[in-house]
Amino acid sequence: MKKLFSLLLILAGTALRADDARVAQFYDIGKLITPSGVDPQLGGLAALPDGRLVAAFHHGEIAIYDPKKTTWKIFAEGLHEPLGVLLAKDGSLLVMQRPELTRLRDTDGDGVADQYETMWDGFGMSGNYHEFAFGPVRAPSGKLYVALNLASNGDTVREEIRNEWSPVGLDREKFYAGDWKKYSKESGRMYGRVKWRGWVIEIDEATGAATPFASGFRSPDGLGFDPAGNFIVDDNQGDWRGTSELHYVKRDGFYGHPASLVWRKDWDGSEPLKLPVEKLNALRTMPAIEIPYGSYANSPTQMLVIPKTPAWGPFGGQLVVGEMNTARLLRLLPEEVDGVWQGACVMFVETTALKGGLHRLAFLGDTLYVGRTHLSWAGGEGIGTVRPVKTPFDPLAMHATPMGFRLEFTAPLAASAGDPARWAGQRYYYEYHPAYGSPQMDLTPIVPTKITLAADRRSVEIELAELKTGHVYDFDLSGLESAKGETVLNPHIAYTLNRVPVAK
Amino acid sequence: MRLATAPFALSPHMKLFVALAFLAAALVTLAAEKPAPPALDSETATTPAAGAKKARTVKILMRDGLRFEPPRLSLEPGEAIVLEIENGDSTDQSHNFLLLRPGTREAIVQQALSLAEKGPAQDFVPQNPDIIVSSKLLNADGSAKVKFTVPATPGVYPYVCTFPGHGMVMYGAIYAGVEPPPLEKDPNIPPTALQTVVAGGGRRPFTQRIFMPDAGPAAIAVALVGSQNVCWDAGQCRLRYAWQGTFIDASDHWQGNGRQLPVVPAKPWWRAPKDDFPLRFGTAHASSPTAQFLGYALTPDGPVFHYRAAETEVFEQILPAKGRPGLALRLQIPRATGPVFYRSATDANTTWTSSAGTWNEGLLTLTPAQAKDVTLTLTSALCTP
Repeated sequence: MKKLFSLLLILAGTALRADDARVAQFYDIGKLITPSGVDPQLGGLAALPDGRLVAAFHHGEIAIYDPKKTTWKIFAEGLHEPLGVLLAKDGSLLVMQRPELTRLRDTDGDGVADQYETMWDGFGMSGNYHEFAFGPVRAPSGKLYVALNLASNGDTVREEIRNEWSPVGLDREKFYAGDWKKYSKESGRMYGRVKWRGWVIEIDEATGAATPFASGFRSPDGLGFDPAGNFIVDDNQGDWRGTSELHYVKRDGFYGHPASLVWRKDWDGSEPLKLPVEKLNALRTMPAIEIPYGSYANSPTQMLVIPKTPAWGPFGGQLVVGEMNTARLLRLLPEEVDGVWQGACVMFVETTALKGGLHRLAFLGDTLYVGRTHLSWAGGEGIGTVRPVKTPFDPLAMHATPMGFRLEFTAPLAASAGDPARWAGQRYYYEYHPAYGSPQMDLTPIVPTKITLAADRRSVEIELAELKTGHVYDFDLSGLESAKGETVLNPHIAYTLNRVPVAK
Repeated sequence: MRLATAPFALSPHMKLFVALAFLAAALVTLAAEKPAPPALDSETATTPAAGAKKARTVKILMRDGLRFEPPRLSLEPGEAIVLEIENGDSTDQSHNFLLLRPGTREAIVQQALSLAEKGPAQDFVPQNPDIIVSSKLLNADGSAKVKFTVPATPGVYPYVCTFPGHGMVMYGAIYAGVEPPPLEKDPNIPPTALQTVVAGGGRRPFTQRIFMPDAGPAAIAVALVGSQNVCWDAGQCRLRYAWQGTFIDASDHWQGNGRQLPVVPAKPWWRAPKDDFPLRFGTAHASSPTAQFLGYALTPDGPVFHYRAAETEVFEQILPAKGRPGLALRLQIPRATGPVFYRSATDANTTWTSSAGTWNEGLLTLTPAQAKDVTLTLTSALCTP
């Protein structure tokens, strides 16, 4: 069976790859050599206002790169799996490690941190390997946010834990019975038996005071802000995640994974994993964007707003997101319809030159730095660079309309785009359930009934016979051409329809 | 972070193609059920495996900084091995792998260099009967499988990359039926190899936050100046145990997702009791206070831990004991409002002394003035000079 998979991988992989040579006309992919003697897996990347780049590495180093001198300097060492780094308002560096949010200070001015101050460690650690800690990010309001991964039933917990244990769920003794495989099915695929697992936490930068902010997360690797500054979090396909999701996160919201509910103040002590799915479904806020598993991304990572510079052209101001499993960056195109967030995802830069494991992102000038990682999973190593050369013929934006969708392109379409037969795709939905991932359900071809090209042919109104909320509309644009005869560089775009706009 | 699931998934437009591929692959697989065809990777078959015993698979990675990971392997003489070699060097360097007879590494590296312009055509592998097995030259992300039988003669068999300029630092050793010495004293591995195996690469002092055995999950490992190492528990704000010699081996922990704990290479010569925070404030019989970790400062002598217990701020530094084998525990409690007590954990082998205060059956009593700066010394009969 393994052989069959590898062969399929080779065959499918070859055909799935966008044409690297063609992508190279639009994006220049390079690399930044990482510091010598440092394991080149990236947990954090951030651009500093003085034009330097700060990077957090897997073994716990924080290093700063000066592009003018092309040199690295190690700023700190010995941190525990840092997965995010941020410049503090006072000039120190904030780093989220597995056990705590830490402030690193260089008090003697030698360019190396000498004070490692614990800013917040008021959360539980069971010692389970999957309890990663992500962040921090700073909202326009000045508040910091971090997120705490659930534990995985791929392993049990340590004898000694930090902070309190929730009695809700599988008896604690079973975790120590020695035969974990026998009980692992009863713990939940991912579990949160220590505090604030599956939560996003708000932290006051000046005082370190922490407030539990929102629950329902599973493996929220990507914390960020949309172009308007709204707080967004992406989360990974798995149990209770039919596919990977983008969430607009508000205070006290619940975003779908039930393991975290035991830590809600108002929780009645019942086992959330045993609640009827309908009840949990009613509690949760739907994802704004469902990112189709496999065809778009398996594990979305950090999100950043693309700078509005001439080099990035019309994509400036839009959201880019990394992805672990494929050599692919995507764009996310959220929009608010009658108070509900929804929108599309589309491939952005896809070339084998990017390699995989695209975990952390930072823009310095017009260069996008991409830090890779893998740990024991699929991914890559080192830091890649992406520089825009010129704008490809691509979908630019996608909006829901009362009758269907409006798509905008980076260049005028050929007149042939007015033919409904040129527009193909499928709609489907993902099941909300305890199982790991979901197949695409109710897979149905999209049948456009009317195509209306704008006068400048840069946008098009697509009317469909029916619109089903809760479905992903996954368009295949490979039948289209630009007025100059080019095909679409990234011809797949998938819109998650939560709300159909009312005709005005 | 993600959790591994299916190895791949397909975009909708690939469905038909995949159906066909599936069919083709199924046919290939059926054919492959018969005797296994040769692997697709480059493969250098040498000595046939003794008997029908299945070869063991061992992995070796070429890493940034001209390093093999692991830098040494312990294998049984006569054992059949399939070595899976991967070039994971993210700096785009090419490497090869040669396994050699004992004591021949430097000569063969020189011979490879002298190939000069003929080198590339033969993957920088010279003709030499002391080469037991070799791989082709692997570009970044390239991989190869090399099959060989560990020689029956016990010995230390070096492996090396003979790409020009690499051979003097990029090597390691197979210990076949020979007990390897402690890593930092191993003349058969390069100093750079310590970087991947020993946290901090053998530097002292070095402070590494990491999961540790026999401690809470918020643990800190410290390599002190000299030969002592300690595990300090940041969740409980106290020293947990001490050992001598090599610092932690975190390679399995770091190569995976953190599930494997680092290895403490020697048996600790002292351990704190499991659930006893040692400090008491006001009265000796007060219940164990909760402690809040506040961080640490790095000094040339190592970290100074900072925490608050029973509303009292404490600075704690672990140092090697002066003049005798053991630890010195320097406590600085600047604002104690009453007496401070330290409940030492004594066993048959340990001795506690202090620079100030009075001892009574393992309990040290300090006045607030003495608690401002006091050093406790812990020595043990198990601790060697």
